[in-house]
Amino acid sequence: MHNIDKIFIETNEIKLEAEFFQLKKIVVLICHPHPQFFWV
Amino acid sequence: MYNNIVSGVFNMCVQNKISCLRFNFRGVGRSTGSHTSGKGELTDVKACIDFLINDKNIEKIIICGYSYGAAIGCSVVNFSEKIIGYCAISFPWDFMGSKYKKFSQTKKPKLFIQGNRDTIALYENFENHYNFYFEPKKYKIINGADHFYSGFEENVVQEVSEFYNLITK
Repeated sequence: MHNIDKIFIETNEIKLEAEFFQLKKIVVLICHPHPQFFWV
Repeated sequence: MYNNIVSGVFNMCVQNKISCLRFNFRGVGRSTGSHTSGKGELTDVKACIDFLINDKNIEKIIICGYSYGAAIGCSVVNFSEKIIGYCAISFPWDFMGSKYKKFSQTKKPKLFIQGNRDTIALYENFENHYNFYFEPKKYKIINGADHFYSGFEENVVQEVSEFYNLITK
């Protein structure tokens, strides 16, 4: 079973919904297409 | 949080025990705020990088962005020395404007993945845009794929996996 953390990354301005899986000190940061530009 | 390509890359990372973070830009899903046409979204990516470095002591970060996420994500490549490269899937240069092309210029390793039937990230302009970038760089054309990669998800994921192995070995 993989341990994926459902988290919010907070700044002074906003909270970003995120999912984080950590085992090592190298991370792939994955950026979504934006729904406003992604008409599917 | 679901997209066929983003989920494909995320799941590949998890299955291969590769640490990964995916997030919704401001105004999407349960993220607060509203869309700002790029300026705020660049800050969103930087907030994720700050979180990884400062809160999680991450030593190296590879950015992988798809479509709008490629334009925004890859544009912060020079924000930190801990970002070691990026993978851009269907970078929409013509659609997003030239500033993201300029922001994403770097001497760090880069992989560009492009479908040869893509009419949003225009395939016919790909070579011209690709030639703008410094080495080291690579590209992979997915024959038969349009912007949405339906049925070609495994091809994309395989390329991302190989790029990860190449720049982390």
